Amino acid sequence: MTEPTRGKEPPRHVDPEAIGDAASTVGVGATAAAVAEAGGLVSGQSASLWGDAWHDLRRRWIFWISAAILLAVTVLAVFPGLFTDVGENENCDPNLSKMPPGGDHRFGTDVAGCDYYAHVVHGAWPTLLIGVSVTLFALLIAVIFGTVGGYYGGALDGVIARVTDVFFGLPFVLGATVILVAFPDHGIGAMTLVLVLLGWTTMIRIMRGQVIAVKDADYVQAARLLGASDFRIMRRHILPNAIAPVIVVATLNVGNVIASEATLDFLGVGLQYPEVSWGLQLNQAQSYFVDHPHLLIFPALFLSATVLSFLMLGDAVRDALDPKLR
Amino acid sequence: MWRYIARRLLQAIPVFLGTTFLIYTLVFYLPGDPIQALAGEKPLSPSVVAALREHYNLNDPLLLQYVKYLGGLFQGDLGETFDGQQVSDVLSGRWTVTAQLALTAWLFELVIGIGLGVWAGLRRGSLADTLVLGGTTLVIAVPVFVLGYTAQIVLGLNLGLFPTAGTEDGWPVSYLLPGLVLGSLGLSYVARLTRTSIAENLRADYVRTAYAKGLTKVRVVGKHTLRNSLIPVITYLGVDFGALMGGAVVTEGIFNLPGIGQQVFQSIQLKEGPVVVGASTLLVLVFLVVNLAVDLLYGVLDPRIRRD
Amino acid sequence: MTSLRVVGGLTAVVLTASLGLTACGGGGKASDGTFIAGHPEPDHLIPGNTTSSYSWDVTDELFENLVSLDKTGNAVNAAASSVETTDQKVWTIKVRPGQKFHNDEPVTAASFADAWNYAAYGPNAFEGNDYFSQIRGYADLNPEDEKAKPATDKLSGVEVVDDATLKVTLDAPFSQFKLLLTHPAFAPLPKAAYTDIKAFDNKPIGNGPYMMDGAWERNKQVKLKVFAGYTGTRKPKNKGFTWRSYASQDTTYTDLRAGRIDLMQSIPAAKVPEAKRLMGDKALGRATGTFDYLGFPLFDKRFDNADLRKAISMAIDRNGVNKAVYGGEYTVADSLLPPMIKGHRPGACGELCTYDPTKAKQLYDKAGGFKGTLELYFSNAQPSYEQWMQIVANSLKQNLGITDIQFRKIPVSDYLSTLSDKKEKGPYRQNWEADYPSAQNYLEPQWHSDKNRMGWTSKEFDGLIAKGNGAATDDEAVKFYNQAEDVALREAPLVPLWIWKSYGGRSTKIDGVTITPFANGLLAHEVTVK
Repeated sequence: MTEPTRGKEPPRHVDPEAIGDAASTVGVGATAAAVAEAGGLVSGQSASLWGDAWHDLRRRWIFWISAAILLAVTVLAVFPGLFTDVGENENCDPNLSKMPPGGDHRFGTDVAGCDYYAHVVHGAWPTLLIGVSVTLFALLIAVIFGTVGGYYGGALDGVIARVTDVFFGLPFVLGATVILVAFPDHGIGAMTLVLVLLGWTTMIRIMRGQVIAVKDADYVQAARLLGASDFRIMRRHILPNAIAPVIVVATLNVGNVIASEATLDFLGVGLQYPEVSWGLQLNQAQSYFVDHPHLLIFPALFLSATVLSFLMLGDAVRDALDPKLR
Repeated sequence: MWRYIARRLLQAIPVFLGTTFLIYTLVFYLPGDPIQALAGEKPLSPSVVAALREHYNLNDPLLLQYVKYLGGLFQGDLGETFDGQQVSDVLSGRWTVTAQLALTAWLFELVIGIGLGVWAGLRRGSLADTLVLGGTTLVIAVPVFVLGYTAQIVLGLNLGLFPTAGTEDGWPVSYLLPGLVLGSLGLSYVARLTRTSIAENLRADYVRTAYAKGLTKVRVVGKHTLRNSLIPVITYLGVDFGALMGGAVVTEGIFNLPGIGQQVFQSIQLKEGPVVVGASTLLVLVFLVVNLAVDLLYGVLDPRIRRD
Repeated sequence: MTSLRVVGGLTAVVLTASLGLTACGGGGKASDGTFIAGHPEPDHLIPGNTTSSYSWDVTDELFENLVSLDKTGNAVNAAASSVETTDQKVWTIKVRPGQKFHNDEPVTAASFADAWNYAAYGPNAFEGNDYFSQIRGYADLNPEDEKAKPATDKLSGVEVVDDATLKVTLDAPFSQFKLLLTHPAFAPLPKAAYTDIKAFDNKPIGNGPYMMDGAWERNKQVKLKVFAGYTGTRKPKNKGFTWRSYASQDTTYTDLRAGRIDLMQSIPAAKVPEAKRLMGDKALGRATGTFDYLGFPLFDKRFDNADLRKAISMAIDRNGVNKAVYGGEYTVADSLLPPMIKGHRPGACGELCTYDPTKAKQLYDKAGGFKGTLELYFSNAQPSYEQWMQIVANSLKQNLGITDIQFRKIPVSDYLSTLSDKKEKGPYRQNWEADYPSAQNYLEPQWHSDKNRMGWTSKEFDGLIAKGNGAATDDEAVKFYNQAEDVALREAPLVPLWIWKSYGGRSTKIDGVTITPFANGLLAHEVTVK
């Protein structure tokens, strides 16, 4: 019911990639669908899966386009100084509010009369940072607990699955409001924490389903017979073979997190001054867009391009990883 | 089969308790004084504050409040809102709106989503495929409030194709536009899911066998591919229906539909515990049931999966 | 839930809309003489049990007080035929005979006394309880010890002499009592109300020009029809109307433009320029008496310096904010009283309200600067709060050199309790809309030592207010209130920023729309329907 990392409509909806079954221990129905989107049951592939995938990816133009856009956005985020001399919230004059593009301001000015170009440039960093770090943390949680739960099964798995269900049932806005109150600055760190806490449930389900599918494979049995420790089996044999669909979902997820952050801003519980982000800009622009379209167009362009690139990258990786589609 | 259902239902109990307790705790620790917020900027007499706090059990410690709440719940009493309405009345009124919206959105996902997915999946790599892939990706990339307001102003106000907001025109007219906006995301996912699934199945051995047997394309696709491809899609649609029933705060707000999502959002803002917990509880129940149904349905569709 | 009365207007400027162009659009299909107005959902429909202006939108039509406001904010007799006093303390009120409730019960002095007693009785937990606190005997109904049961449930200061006469005794002289009586909380209730007060809330019975047409449909609408037995001055010129509930002001505006409703009282600030352009004379602008302020927590030592507070006030470009966020529609504050209130003196605020970065910096340095993080508090109720706070923050950064500024955007439910518990650590947004149009109501609730949120104490201010309250004539009262105003401005614990301007809008189907800046808001009875 709650699917924060989806971004569009936080307090509703499941992630299709993770049609988790809220209470089954086997979870066939759910994860199967996710895996179908994510690239088929990747059980028992050869060790050269990643090599093949890379080979395949290199030939896809869509991969190169999205990679190029993402590289550009990353440069924008990490080195804003290369693009603008104006800092965040600097040289603003409310008497020059909402000026159209042109003259000193190539993107115009925003409501507070700040240079919009500078603000759009500075907006890249929080947007990208939140999108990537939330996904990485959620991925980490998913990999650790999903693997452990799926591998050992039994009571431990039951507890992990039930806790996941409980978090799944939490209204997104409620969780966000409560957590953000503990961090009155509503900064990037707090936003990351909120989105991770409310968004880890998706990937753990897929991870767990994959581990269950892989753990009885011949090579795992063989390793066990040879006396390998559980840790070694999980790390060397299960993880590499189970992680592909999760990685794909993670790539798709970055885009969702970014849109999610924008929606939180829209609901009035998101980032706030002195931070600038594309989500905040979109949100502010939405009431003015009939008379001042430039306020909406510029952040929307950057945000959509970034999210699209992540989604296309995810698509490309998925197709490359799926031997059936080659 | 029955043992499986029984086990699943038993497992639902801790999830149910855990979720309600977690939500109750979160509401409890929400900052602020709901009573103070009632009066806005105007002064509220201490005696009034005291009387209201007593009435809503706000002076009790967390655990006692929760136990009192659970006690009421088992007697069918979901509590009372701060403006004196029964939570059960509030929720039932709101739920009809949410159910109609959910159904509309879901039908869009089902019909348009699968339609687009099949169209694209059968022509992988073609212009149609690229269009569907690009279009759905774009929908996923745009935040819902941008989509909602734009649809409302362009399709509702400027072109006059749909009513702009409200429920006055009844189902389905009032719900078409919000349903489309709300369903657009699921629709995109269904289309992509169907597309991938169809494309994969077209390469499966049994399809090749069918072609080898000399069956027509229509028959192969219609009889074999679709049926197998739709399993994950139907699973997704099933679970998503449960999710849609949870309400949609943004869509409901933009289109002025008094549904459950708006109510939960307002109640969170007002720290109205009984409503938030009540709505979430019902949601958890709906979700557990839908999940069970989906898993069972899956077993029916795919005989390889058995429930013991 | 803040009682943001988004209704306002200049004293004289009462916007009677001119003739519409063509009769297209409009809420209903064939005209049945009724219209639809959109607003947010009310919380209660009993006048004494709400502080929401959206509730008053409805109750003003259902009920009639002893005294009501005319279009210019003067108190005129309504259900009363006379309100008299000799000492500003004991007031004798004559109830006009022959008035009826919607259920034919006669309106008598007891209808008022009983309703006031009920609202003032602490355990009934009526939100309007505090408005009765000046009446003698209030303390007995609301004991200090919150657990104790009050000894009585009758205000000793309210005495029913006979069916037509009410005698009210106050604790202290209060020259503005007649204006206080115009507040919705002082409406009468019929006997039927007390048998089941909850059911009554869903279908109230009043003595006003309109009556309920069916019960209140929560989150949807309240339908009102004309009450034939009404004998007062507000005789409806239409056949009834509906208040439709909206969760979002933006959507209300879209529906108005789509012709699905006929009237809204406040178009969102960001949409006003567009509305003026698209709707022409059907966009109805009006000045209001609603103020925004910046308050300082004086209990925090860092703000206990008048020069620092003045420096911050003078570093804010009020005109710039007005232009950027409110399209230049608002009025920049030049006094603690709005122009429509008797006692307003243009420029009373002087340099404190004038943007002067150089002088501000001098005062700031003189005060020894500011150490630590400057936290700015406001609620997330409206997006425009954050927009203007952003400009304020930028100004403080640029003009005073305060670099470490952070926002504290607090959820609505927490904002007011944060302030009343004095948990804020920096300047905060304060908003006030008067309960009744009197200088006293702008000054006393916000600056009086026992009532203000800033932790400011001033015997001088309190004394001047008391003198004004005891004054025999209005002119004399205003003189003292103005002196009190000067004290508040000199110390600047709470500085005024700007006064709201609101835009309503109407469809071509209706005309004669008047929205006053006071608690009576829309004068629905004057609306004509094509």
